[in-house]
Amino acid sequence: MYRKFLKTTKSLTVSFEKGLNALTTQEHNPLYFHGALPLYIFWFLIFSGIMLWMYYIPTLERAWSSVNYITSLPVLSQVDGKWVTDATNAATGIPYGAVVRGIHRWGAAGMMIATVLHMLRVYFTDRHRSWRWLPWISGVGLLAVLLFVGITGYLLVWDNRAYALVVLTQEFLKSLPLVGNWLADFFVAGGQITDYTLTRFFFFHIAGATLIFVLIWVHFIRLKYPAVTPSRATNFLTFGFILAAAGTYPAVNITQELLTKYGSDPRITQYKDYIASDAPAHIGNLVANIRYDAWYMFPYYLIDKLGANWAWAILGVSVALLLVAPFYPKEIRDNIAEVTEAKCTGCTFCSLDCPFEAIDMVERAPGSKFKLLAVVNEARCSQCGVCVGACPFLAIELPHTHSKTIEADLVALLNQGA
Amino acid sequence: MSDTIEKKNKVIVGFVCQRSIPIQDMIDEHKALLDDPEVKVVILPCSGMVKPTQMEMALTKGADATFVCGCAIGDCHYRTGNLMIRARLEGERNPKLRKTTDKRKVGMFFLTMKDKAPFLEALKGFKASVAALGGEN
Repeated sequence: MYRKFLKTTKSLTVSFEKGLNALTTQEHNPLYFHGALPLYIFWFLIFSGIMLWMYYIPTLERAWSSVNYITSLPVLSQVDGKWVTDATNAATGIPYGAVVRGIHRWGAAGMMIATVLHMLRVYFTDRHRSWRWLPWISGVGLLAVLLFVGITGYLLVWDNRAYALVVLTQEFLKSLPLVGNWLADFFVAGGQITDYTLTRFFFFHIAGATLIFVLIWVHFIRLKYPAVTPSRATNFLTFGFILAAAGTYPAVNITQELLTKYGSDPRITQYKDYIASDAPAHIGNLVANIRYDAWYMFPYYLIDKLGANWAWAILGVSVALLLVAPFYPKEIRDNIAEVTEAKCTGCTFCSLDCPFEAIDMVERAPGSKFKLLAVVNEARCSQCGVCVGACPFLAIELPHTHSKTIEADLVALLNQGA
Repeated sequence: MSDTIEKKNKVIVGFVCQRSIPIQDMIDEHKALLDDPEVKVVILPCSGMVKPTQMEMALTKGADATFVCGCAIGDCHYRTGNLMIRARLEGERNPKLRKTTDKRKVGMFFLTMKDKAPFLEALKGFKASVAALGGEN
């Protein structure tokens, strides 16, 4: 039944993509670059993050105001019935700072959306099982670390929402037996929230982003030719979307005072329901209703609405299901590539073509006719036969789909005629 | 295996990936296409398993033309099998076709499991281009 489910999801996915092919052609279908897309967006996050880093001050007093300094909206004044920029205030911000922060913010949303699409696409087309377990498991790790980096990014703004998230995180961690209290203290760098707390969050954010690079390396380690960049058309389109989103809805800090003062001006009010940060955090002053970001804050929604124990249960079961997914249902593995040592010349063609790095070229004993020998790593072999197609010497074969059998079938077909 | 095969009628041999077009539903018990019995197919786990020498063998042993059909470019179940056979047949990757092989008689299609009709259409075009060659060697 589960196999039938996977077959159906594959059929539906291919139908959808076929429709998209009609619009984009095979070469530029963004869904064929679903794995490269999150990595491409990640570069925007790295570069915009470095630019924000240059001005961010991780202390309780200065964090919110430093972010505000980067992204401050020009304060508007009404002159002769028209809104004009207050030149004095406009000069206090970083040029295009709100756009750079917007790229960081919208890029983060884009990366999570692209990552989830990538995961769903891999799962729906049944490309997560058996010999592909390592890319899948490392992908689950990447998803978790991405979530962590995104959440810590929200904390760095240090607005009312960030404070509420810290309180919820501590509640969440403290509910764990034995290590809960220690983890909660570790999270905020001590028993209470201090300047070190912001430094700790900043460390989490940067270290998490670095860890993403490490996990991407693990993700790719068994792929001979990983897709590291989408097509040029997809690149331009993605860049265009992020830039358009950042330009149209730049990330800004909106205070109640600003809304009151310029409440009727659409240039201010347009931001209030989108991505604006709240007023600066005040420790002990918890806001009643947190605006949850759909892509990064769903764990907090669970903690807030259901309590820490239910949140642990739901998240734990979800992660456990993701971790066992590549091992069920089991693949029949009786057609693993086999090398005939006497025929292998060590030409390396099979090793170069194997899509999953399943063939190592090892040194032969001194005095051998050939220097290298192909050796199949059985656990990595996908039974695809690409190595067989690459071998000019009939030295590597799939036992149940042997070249000799294929050629005999070919001759039989030709003998039949039409 | 016989080296000399008596040629009876026009025949085209296709090497088809089992995960590209829905080939199992398109053939009879003799591995001939239901829509075009002149076309016989060999089904493989992946188009990347096809050796250029096997396509040359088809031609030298009597086929009028030969083709390979793999997954859509960008969507190979085994990531790069279709790219490998395409590069081999285009002479960009080893092992390549012999220089003496008439490449006009070697076709390539890369399609999804939902592309039965586009495949038959493309095959028709390929057959017409081969037929246009006439008795030219």
